Amino acid sequence: MALEVPCPHCGPRPFTEFAFGGEERPVEAADAEAEFARVYLPQNAAGPRRERWFHALGCRTWFTVTRDTTTNRID
Amino acid sequence: MGALRFEGREVPVLGDDTVASALYRAGVRTFTRSLKYHRRRSLYCGTGECPNCLVTVDGVPGVRSCITPAREDMRVERAHGWPSTERDLLHVTDRLHRLMPVGFYYKTFIRPRFAWPVAERLIRRATGLGRLPEDGTRQTPTARHLRTTVLVVGAGTAGLAAAVEAARAGERVVVCDEAPIGSRLAPGRTLDRVRALEAEIRALAEVQVLDRHAALGLYEGSFVPLAAEDELVQVRAERVVVATGATESHPVFPGNDLPGIWLGRAAARMVARHGVPIGERIVVAASTAEGMEHLSALVAAGANVIAAVVPASLGTEVPDGVETIVDGKLTSAQGRKAIAAVFVETSGGTRRISCDALVLSLGLAPRDVLVRMAVDEPVEVVGDASLGDQEPHLHEDGTLCLCEDVSLHDLRQAWDEGYRSSEILKRYTTATMGPCQGAMCGRALACAARNLEDVPASPAGASPAGARTTARPPARPVPLETLAAAVHEVIEKRTSLHEVHVAAGARLGWSGAWMRPFGYGDWHAEYRAVRERVSLMDVGTLGKFLVAGRDAAALVDRMFPTRIRDLEPGRSRYLLALDEGGFVMDDGLLCALHDGAFYLTSTSGGAARMDARLREWADLLGLHVHVLDRTAELGAINVAGPLARKVLELLCEDPLDADAFPYPGHREVVVAGVPCRAIRTGFVGELAFELHHPRSRGPELWAALMREGRTFDILPHGLDALELLRLEKGHLYLGQDTMPDDTPVKLGLSWAVDAGKEWFVGKPALERVASLPPSRRLFGLEFDGGPDDIAELRGMPITVEGAVVGRVTSAERSITLDRAIGLGWIRTTGDGFPTELRAGTAAARVVPTPLYDPEGVRVRG
Repeated sequence: MALEVPCPHCGPRPFTEFAFGGEERPVEAADAEAEFARVYLPQNAAGPRRERWFHALGCRTWFTVTRDTTTNRID
Repeated sequence: MGALRFEGREVPVLGDDTVASALYRAGVRTFTRSLKYHRRRSLYCGTGECPNCLVTVDGVPGVRSCITPAREDMRVERAHGWPSTERDLLHVTDRLHRLMPVGFYYKTFIRPRFAWPVAERLIRRATGLGRLPEDGTRQTPTARHLRTTVLVVGAGTAGLAAAVEAARAGERVVVCDEAPIGSRLAPGRTLDRVRALEAEIRALAEVQVLDRHAALGLYEGSFVPLAAEDELVQVRAERVVVATGATESHPVFPGNDLPGIWLGRAAARMVARHGVPIGERIVVAASTAEGMEHLSALVAAGANVIAAVVPASLGTEVPDGVETIVDGKLTSAQGRKAIAAVFVETSGGTRRISCDALVLSLGLAPRDVLVRMAVDEPVEVVGDASLGDQEPHLHEDGTLCLCEDVSLHDLRQAWDEGYRSSEILKRYTTATMGPCQGAMCGRALACAARNLEDVPASPAGASPAGARTTARPPARPVPLETLAAAVHEVIEKRTSLHEVHVAAGARLGWSGAWMRPFGYGDWHAEYRAVRERVSLMDVGTLGKFLVAGRDAAALVDRMFPTRIRDLEPGRSRYLLALDEGGFVMDDGLLCALHDGAFYLTSTSGGAARMDARLREWADLLGLHVHVLDRTAELGAINVAGPLARKVLELLCEDPLDADAFPYPGHREVVVAGVPCRAIRTGFVGELAFELHHPRSRGPELWAALMREGRTFDILPHGLDALELLRLEKGHLYLGQDTMPDDTPVKLGLSWAVDAGKEWFVGKPALERVASLPPSRRLFGLEFDGGPDDIAELRGMPITVEGAVVGRVTSAERSITLDRAIGLGWIRTTGDGFPTELRAGTAAARVVPTPLYDPEGVRVRG
């Protein structure tokens, strides 16, 4: 309820306006094993991580933010 | 002079009466019955903290009468007890303590098994806190957002002073309080100071005052929801000042819950503000400066205070005419219906003082629940809320938790059973879990656990067993409908033809978020219109997208497995959308436009996801693309049936013959004066033109088609007819016939994947699973026997010799083929897929699809 996501166009907005896009990751991988890891094995780190958000109920822009998964703080 | 209605009689309302003061003046002494033992409970805290004064007002249960202003014609009832609160036969449970030890409901009525449901109903009825109104009589509150620099919670002296200071420093300030400012104070110095500060603050433009707004919690990012009667305000503040003050602490000693025992504030207000006497022989026990003020206020108002139990340091402040008992300790109170005597232990022995009221001001308990919810939010605590923990008065036994009727004795017993920390004592005994949410007893519980632990204090002075339990929202009682105010109502999407369908008598129903016609009365007739003549269907719900820009082709090529490079302008192709796992996510049609752009459709339910994915991949791949979601902007009507072209030719001058406009293709045409993109589609298996048009012109286009189609006996068709039409063609419904991990191979859609492409979303995954034999596949089915309504087979397991090998996903009786047909997935049994199967009472066998018009002659017509 309380998380605010900074949209590059619309400024900080309640997270309920956004769709979560998961961890940021490369688009392609070098080989099959790496590809499997890329799609199915997220890091799920406790701490700051880069992740994708989509302002679905706003400007419909995709962007990347760094969010600390332990505090929800977004830098 | 007005009156409120109380259980069938009139109760006068005077001055600024609360519901509680009006009732008390009228002689009401028992307001509630305690949860478990049905002991009489009367007014106690007077500040909205304790559960003792909860009544039902105008059908709404759980109203705190001590802080609710009395109004004329209010309908007030008590909720507890059977047959009434006044004469409660369930009070017998007070004599049966031994039969109902703490946690008894975990241990009794377990065997025989049928006993518990019966017992549970009885227990629930016995403990009930009133009945909810069956019809929501209250208006649904609204929700709004508010942003501010400083939020001050609590408009007492400390809060108002902090607000003035912040506003003077140029900060934007919101001050909230759950009550009107000053309304809960007895006349005196504090109230004067509050009135002065209030006048000051009302004059400041930077300050917004939200009284009657209770702060419910403190969430990350300094987010504080405020609940009022008619709204929920979601405040986001850069910093929060907690000035919630303190409540008078709740002393625990045998008999401490008897009617006639008051906390100081309640007594002082009742006597000094409302002019209602609380007794003839009053004993005051006070250890705080505030308590001495209450004592003076009582005496000044003419109350007969016979004794004051005070510490030596305050002994000189006791007014004349009141016996002073220095350094006495309350050990117990006695009485049947109400307090009759109090026992005080002094240096000279224990004294019994007969009395009919006992006023307690034995310390302050900061209202720190918001503070304790803060993790790393910038929170400043001012005033009494910042007082440190004071040791509560606990003596031998007595009611610790008023809401849940938990005594010190209960806690000791639970401790002996092995529940040895405040958190699990709380869960086992339910202490602190009632309406007051630990406002009265949270500290006492922690203290009791510390005492029970009985180990020397650790170096840090901390006691894990006796820690305060975790503070959680809501900090104040709040109706669920207020919380739901922030949740938006169900969104019902309608096409521009909605009114047309309603007028035609359509049976409308939910299809995802859309309202769609399932039929117009006789779906068999609708089906025949499509197969034999011509019919219309509103398909405006489809997802509709324009993908344009320099890299439009690159995006479409890399995002979808569909072959793009040979798709010429004016042609269209079945479009499959995969996710990165190679699983089918959506399907639709892709139309190549003349300017290098693409127009594509998705399923109705998949439109929002398709929009997100198109934009996501455009961003991830760094492509220069514009994605325009035209779903809401365009309507679409499918004109289907062998005579579809004949009807359209009456309204359209553009060439529509198979040479000029072949299947699968699309053209820009004008139909009945409405500019349309016509797409030849094959979903129903007949000649069909999907007319995508500006939404606002849908009704006139529909009307023109129906008018010109009249000579061909045109009918509209709904989703029921469509179900059979597409099933006869073996076309699948995403979601109904598919599962989340279906690859194209599993659905028999390999033909829609261009394996020759270098890369597309999901290709690495498809390559990875290509080496594995498919474990499951979707097949066309034909049934023999089975239920009269063959559609009942949908969802039925498919078996081979009793072993489940699959599931029917669609089933209908084909009208044209006069056979029961369907779709279903089947697991491999080791040596390929079984073909002779059973589904419930029906025999089933795998058949090739499509069953209707296998060569697709009619679609191309």
